[in-house]
Amino acid sequence: MDRRTFIRRGLWGGLLLAVGGSIGLATWPTERRYRARNRLRALDEPQFAVLAAIAARTVTAPGADPIVIAERVDTQMSWAYPEVRADFGKLLLLFENALAGLVFDGRARPFTHLSPEAQDRVLAAWRDSRLAVRRSGYGVLRKLTQAAHYAAPEAWPDTGYPGPPQLVVPGDKVPL
Amino acid sequence: MSEAIPLHADKKPGAFVDAGTLPDGATLSADVVVIGSGAGGAVTAAELQRAGFDVLVLEEGGHHTRADFKMREDINYPMLYQEAGARATKDLGVTILQGRAVGGTTVVNWTTSFRTPEHVYAHWKQHHAVGEIAWNELGPHWDTVEQRLNIQKVPYEETNRNNRVLFDGMKALGLQVDTTRRNVKGCMKSGYCGMGCPIDAKQSMLVTYLPDAVGAGARVVSRCRVDKLVVEGGAIKRAECSAIGDDGYNASGKRLTVTARRFVLSAGGIGTPSILIRSGLGGGMVGRRTFLHPVVGTASHYAEPIEPYYGAPQSVASHAHAERGDDVGLFYEAAPMHPMLAAVATGGFGALHREMMQKLPWLSAHVVLAIDGFHPSEDGGTISVRASGAPLVDYVVPPRVRLALREGLKTLARANFAAGAKEVGFGEFPQMILKSDRDVSRIDDYDIGRLVLFSAHVMGGCKMGDDPKRSVVRSKDLRHHTVENLHVVDGSVFPTSLGVNPQESIYGLAHLMAGRLVASWKS
Repeated sequence: MDRRTFIRRGLWGGLLLAVGGSIGLATWPTERRYRARNRLRALDEPQFAVLAAIAARTVTAPGADPIVIAERVDTQMSWAYPEVRADFGKLLLLFENALAGLVFDGRARPFTHLSPEAQDRVLAAWRDSRLAVRRSGYGVLRKLTQAAHYAAPEAWPDTGYPGPPQLVVPGDKVPL
Repeated sequence: MSEAIPLHADKKPGAFVDAGTLPDGATLSADVVVIGSGAGGAVTAAELQRAGFDVLVLEEGGHHTRADFKMREDINYPMLYQEAGARATKDLGVTILQGRAVGGTTVVNWTTSFRTPEHVYAHWKQHHAVGEIAWNELGPHWDTVEQRLNIQKVPYEETNRNNRVLFDGMKALGLQVDTTRRNVKGCMKSGYCGMGCPIDAKQSMLVTYLPDAVGAGARVVSRCRVDKLVVEGGAIKRAECSAIGDDGYNASGKRLTVTARRFVLSAGGIGTPSILIRSGLGGGMVGRRTFLHPVVGTASHYAEPIEPYYGAPQSVASHAHAERGDDVGLFYEAAPMHPMLAAVATGGFGALHREMMQKLPWLSAHVVLAIDGFHPSEDGGTISVRASGAPLVDYVVPPRVRLALREGLKTLARANFAAGAKEVGFGEFPQMILKSDRDVSRIDDYDIGRLVLFSAHVMGGCKMGDDPKRSVVRSKDLRHHTVENLHVVDGSVFPTSLGVNPQESIYGLAHLMAGRLVASWKS
């Protein structure tokens, strides 16, 4: 996709949200199955609920906790530039939005209201989209949630990664 | 409150200082301010300080030392990388790994050390009016830097399996391949270069030229973001800065002012042009011709454990396809994979992703890098600033670069099958898994527009050259064409990419230029 097409489609997505805001489909409230346990730093509660719902499908390894993952991403977003933070929030809204879902994928319900199987189909639709902006959006959500899980020690056993070695430096009293 | 803090008025030795410990409204002064403490800034600071100038280094990142390097991705990526490791181009098409700490990217790079290829300077002279730097002149400077950083070639026997399969595979294909040189001393080959060396074996700027500078009396002020340079009468008068708060990213609200006779910008290929733009010094070639060595990677599954997380992460490289006539050149290297990097690099989600992650000990990761910027049609990317003042990288990867990378994927796949891989995978849109060498031709059908790209080498954005209309700084001394007391010494001055990992190219150029600056300023 060339640059102009990308921008046009990005704008289209924004327009869709704006227009959709005036009709019920786009304002269907987010199902807040997942609620943050700690104070949110960058996201609001609906955005957090969407993000955690996504994490529940992108990371299905044993012990993966969507709330913990989403809280880590929230922390990461608190370090991001204001514009990046704002764009991420819009991406979550677009991903959740029922009107956008209807237009793009033929699903007329918010992402958080779908069954796990239907949520997987939404993720796959974004991944396999002809629109680069949707593939990029999927990539951001996938990578952030999976990175937030697999960076931490509790994820390591399932991967076979033994963790860092114990290094003993000459002159040091204890191993690192 | 305003408090002037003169430098060396009391002849005390230099120090590392956190901007947060200075009083709000403080004014610092120096002979020379160096902005950025990576490969360019650290060498420049050390050499100028040793020559008798009072040098003050400003660094946006924190001053972290080996005790902070926990060999954990969840701790050290947010600590040591730009945008907590999540930097990307405007359209999210290229993820950019770039360091952000005292010592810059040298703290987190994988230690690969190459001198700039001779033909690169020849190209710059012919096509970009870089008339005052001869490749031969750089030799003694590289010699000096290599000695200081203990840059030495890795014996084949000391490579890890991840690198060795690349070496063996390339050899089996009859392609040029060799072990690399690394800037390490007493390396235990733990595999954690990318998270900061926990034993100070990596001879990064953090443990070499910056301590040299401080030992000679320089000050390094960390967590100090330069918001703008103030220009009056054709010269920089001061830098206006913000202290970064305890989270390491957001400004604390504390302001600092730094005055000096001379300023050296060494904030890197993204930081340097963005500071110039914020200072009203944009336009022309500022923030133009940014090159990234765009990268695609393969993950190959072997029957025997590879353990891509242990051992020297990058110790083999092939430049067999660096020069491909009119087509974009390529080079090949290995990449380490710890769980987080593996999770990001491995496409898919849910059960499929988990299945791939469970193969981690048997996975081998390799990359092909495109040598961008040498063809007349390649203008590279641009750097601009957002409303908040933060930098924005716009790089639309040209189709010819993507075509080249697809060719590179075929070579990596063949090399891995030659080395015994059971499967070779790449990509996400879609993910392609090859089962044997016979499958490699399927790569020809892969949509190049859907390749997943990243970069660890940012070059250009403030190119040097002797034509003011086509460059930002002159090649004689990297001085800004119109601002007399402003120099740029970092990878942003390169008119193209390099075709090799950039750190040593920057060290050598900075060392050469420091000598010229000292001679000029003392005359």
